[in-house]
Amino acid sequence: MKIFKVVKPLVATNRIPDMEQKRLQVVQDGSSLMVAVDSVGAAPGDWVLCVGSSAAREAAGSKSYPSDLTIVGIIDNWVDPR
Amino acid sequence: MEIFQVVGTMVCTCRHPGIEQLPLRVLQDRTGKLQVAVDTIGSCKGNWVFTISGSAARMALEDPSLLTDLTIGGVIDSWEE
Repeated sequence: MKIFKVVKPLVATNRIPDMEQKRLQVVQDGSSLMVAVDSVGAAPGDWVLCVGSSAAREAAGSKSYPSDLTIVGIIDNWVDPR
Repeated sequence: MEIFQVVGTMVCTCRHPGIEQLPLRVLQDRTGKLQVAVDTIGSCKGNWVFTISGSAARMALEDPSLLTDLTIGGVIDSWEE
């Protein structure tokens, strides 16, 4: 699992039907930006915990959901040690 | 999922039967690195898109038996760095 900071919600109207209307968030790890499916309701500025690979699919709702990164938790207190 | 800009389409006539005639797009990330992804939603040159990688890329297709490891998930409505 990886720690990311939520930057902002991502709006994509034209998307593949399998993704349904699930919320997406732009998340940041250092300088790299990624997009994650939000299954918990995170807000910009929150530090979150994300899972990848097949766990991301299951965490997003079903084993056939096309996600490779899903937010599974909002971290209560996090001070970046870097 | 990662964020890319579409820089063009890719024509590839001689293919493995496992990827059939899926439309391919050439994508560029923020650092300038190029990747190729399957496009099932009809993105255009210049669009910012997010992509699904790994085994989820196959789930993103109607037929999960097709061979891909990067599929465009959607076109981002508006994107500024």
